[in-house]
Amino acid sequence: MILYFVTIILLVLIAPMLLSYIKATKMMLLFKRPISIFQGYRDFSKLMHKETIISEETSAITTYAPFLVLSPLLIVMFFLPPVVHGSYYVSFVDAFTITGLISLSTFFLMLLGLDSASAFGGMGSSREAFISALVEPAMVLTIFSVSLMAGDLGVGQAGVNLAQHFPEEHMASFLFAGISFFILLMAENGRIPVDNPETHLELTMVHEAMILDLTGVYLAIIETASSIKFVIFASLFASLFMPFGLEFSAPIAFLIFIAKLFFIATLVALLEVNTAKLRLFKIPNLLGLAIVFAFLSLITFYVLGA
Amino acid sequence: MFVFDTLSLVFVTLILLGAIPNLFYSSGYLPHIERKTHYQLHYFTFIFSMLGVVVSANAIVFLFFWELMSLTSWQLILTEVKEKATIKAARFYFTMTHFGFLFLLLFFLIVTDGDLTVGFAAMKLSASHFAYPTLLFFFLLLGFLSKAGAVPLHVWLPYAHPQAPSPVSALMSGVMLKVAIYGMFRFLFDVLYPWPLEWGIVILTIGALSSLVGVLYALSEHDIKALLANHSIENIGIILIGFGMGMIFDTLGLHTLSTFAFIAAIFHTFNHMSFKSLLFMGAGSVLHQTHTKNMEKYGGLIKAMPVTAFTFLIAAISISALPPSNGFLSEWMIFQSMLSSSHMVNTSLKLAIPFAIFALAMTGGLAIACFVKAYGITFLGLHRSTNAKHAHEVNFLMRFGMILMTLVVVSLMLFTPFYMQYFDQVMVGLGRASIYAQIFPNGIWNMHSVGINGGIVSPLILLLSLGGVTAFIMFAYRVFGIKTRIHNSWACGYKTSAKTQYTATGFAGPIRRLFDWLYKPQEHFSKQTIAGHETKFNDSHYEVHVKPLFEKVFYTSIVKAVNFTSYWVYRLAHFEQTRYAAMIFNIMLVVLFSYRIFAHDFSWATFVLEFFVMMISVRILIIGDKK
Repeated sequence: MILYFVTIILLVLIAPMLLSYIKATKMMLLFKRPISIFQGYRDFSKLMHKETIISEETSAITTYAPFLVLSPLLIVMFFLPPVVHGSYYVSFVDAFTITGLISLSTFFLMLLGLDSASAFGGMGSSREAFISALVEPAMVLTIFSVSLMAGDLGVGQAGVNLAQHFPEEHMASFLFAGISFFILLMAENGRIPVDNPETHLELTMVHEAMILDLTGVYLAIIETASSIKFVIFASLFASLFMPFGLEFSAPIAFLIFIAKLFFIATLVALLEVNTAKLRLFKIPNLLGLAIVFAFLSLITFYVLGA
Repeated sequence: MFVFDTLSLVFVTLILLGAIPNLFYSSGYLPHIERKTHYQLHYFTFIFSMLGVVVSANAIVFLFFWELMSLTSWQLILTEVKEKATIKAARFYFTMTHFGFLFLLLFFLIVTDGDLTVGFAAMKLSASHFAYPTLLFFFLLLGFLSKAGAVPLHVWLPYAHPQAPSPVSALMSGVMLKVAIYGMFRFLFDVLYPWPLEWGIVILTIGALSSLVGVLYALSEHDIKALLANHSIENIGIILIGFGMGMIFDTLGLHTLSTFAFIAAIFHTFNHMSFKSLLFMGAGSVLHQTHTKNMEKYGGLIKAMPVTAFTFLIAAISISALPPSNGFLSEWMIFQSMLSSSHMVNTSLKLAIPFAIFALAMTGGLAIACFVKAYGITFLGLHRSTNAKHAHEVNFLMRFGMILMTLVVVSLMLFTPFYMQYFDQVMVGLGRASIYAQIFPNGIWNMHSVGINGGIVSPLILLLSLGGVTAFIMFAYRVFGIKTRIHNSWACGYKTSAKTQYTATGFAGPIRRLFDWLYKPQEHFSKQTIAGHETKFNDSHYEVHVKPLFEKVFYTSIVKAVNFTSYWVYRLAHFEQTRYAAMIFNIMLVVLFSYRIFAHDFSWATFVLEFFVMMISVRILIIGDKK
């Protein structure tokens, strides 16, 4: 139980570092002088010291929505698969609940965008709604496929099962599901082919447009939420699609897990540097690819396996 | 004459849960209705007739109440006739509901052997002797699904529901559609029981199509009540997906999974009743204050109407199937029953179910987008019209009705195990084993799926933890004592006004563009240019209208065919007398010739000969020479 809480706290703590690390890696690859990987914490503490400015056009939604954006994601942190063998994990929550909670967080974020009465907020919400509507089917199908391979829909149990009996006979569907999930990871976290987190250009921004009118603590909360969302997806990917290294003793297993997270972050940074951002209306092609891979994964599972 | 088994009583509960909050709302709405007696009379008869339908035990009583329900709701649509569209919508509804009634009547005439007073057991006996059970199944489908509003018989919903007064739209969409679902349960279980596999697949396909079509047209809609009506199509589709999965599992002998899917369908029926009634009430309040159904004229109503806005938000979260709402729980159950398709042996069926999963998941995603749009454009931002500026909260009775309905929504979430017990009893009453103990094996905290790779959900724990964590963060925010300043929106330095906001049309823009092939939107764009400069203009206007493809393809072509036939009938009516005589002669020939077929004295040679004789006599005697 102690291990469980320590894991959650550590994951929440390294969340800003991961995003700064991605940014630093990208800058290095582009021959810029990289930012420190502690930049995320500096931004956080700077925002915490600012006063909150609330726009006069807004309503109660802006007052409460930032908390409701963060809290579902914080709850998801408690439901993640175990990092160390024998550690406590939540068995009474399944993958649908997790996607549902993430959608709940997005729902309030989109309302937040519409609340400030600026064209930017509405634009961001509209695009986010479009992307997340297309993410949903791919996500559900991938979950379905993973649940068949792991024999359980609960992510905690699935992580343990996959680590104990790796489904070698279903390697093809496992790979397809992995590809699909990685595309979803990029799309849901607003990484480059889908959204560019670094610009504030109205042609490209999705996530940033929704939170354009936030500042101070509210902005800090939203930024924390987005870094936690990345950690959630990265650790789901690490536990479900790289299910090894759980059997070592706690500190080593934990280090392995952190290494996996940084590996995923490096992968994301490499992809971001090497791809251009897609036009909004090309995004369905990318997400369609995720859907096709999820279908392929299911079909290969049924046709080849069992 | 009347039946009070668990199925009936559960649906009686559903109707009462939908109707009682509606009574308050309706009383609050009453001062704005001109023909009060007409309205009250039909309103109460409508509720009474719905109750009558679900407790009737033979065909004649069922059909009586069914017809009463259709007629009263038809009159209720005509309560406020201010525009021609109302009359047109009412006529459309009248036609569609009687189209369904016709098939129900045919169904009953066959299964009762002409004696409409026999009970369900006798009906089952005659149905089992009937040679073509699939014909009966299709009669039943056409009869009930034309009322429930499933593809392709759904086109009347977005016309009829918005035209009715808001309490009536809430009742029609929230409760009346469910009476049709009751009919499906009652007659498929009690009369047509051993189902072939294909029936389940038909229902599953209709459900998957309805859910996608419903939500896609809802997204393109600017009329808030038509948007909600389209969402009814979607939710009926979701219910039918659960129902179809139940039927498929049943024919494959997977009885536990089948019962689970049926319970999911009943649960979603209840949930849809609760949140859809609430949404229609909220839309009604907004409409009542702003005097328009056009969403582009709303905005910023959350400040003037906090109660409406809050209840609408609860319902929007629930219909978008976001945890821990009741809508999420029933959709979770339907997803679980579809994921259990891995238990099937039939590989082609196993490979086909993921497409239905895809449809349902896509629907879920689009529903979230649609309700962000509906909520955000209506209640958030700045008011887009003078009416929206002067809106204020509705009267006490209407608010009370909405709050009561919110309680129904919340109770369905909090007391899921309690309700589930009764849904389980419904299935026991229909001759299934109870699976309540499998869904809630250890207390009320966790809900389990019954499949092997199934999942677990814990609604109460989720609710508590969400509340707890949010309260904790907010408490921390207070403790830090952060200063707050009110200032106008930054928006990159641009001045925000009602006109710079995103519109409903703009919000749905990306999705409309993706589904261009389905919508085929008609765009109206006009621009007042300055001195002919394309890039300089001081005023522009953009509007998009989407006409349902089904209506364009299916209904319009039927209308064309009818027009064409009636043209020929018209020409027939203006023939000379000699041609009438010739026609009588030809009809006699047809009767004489066709007698041979019935007398089983049939050979192809005589058939061909007689056919040519007929053709020649028609050609010469009736058509005659062209002038």
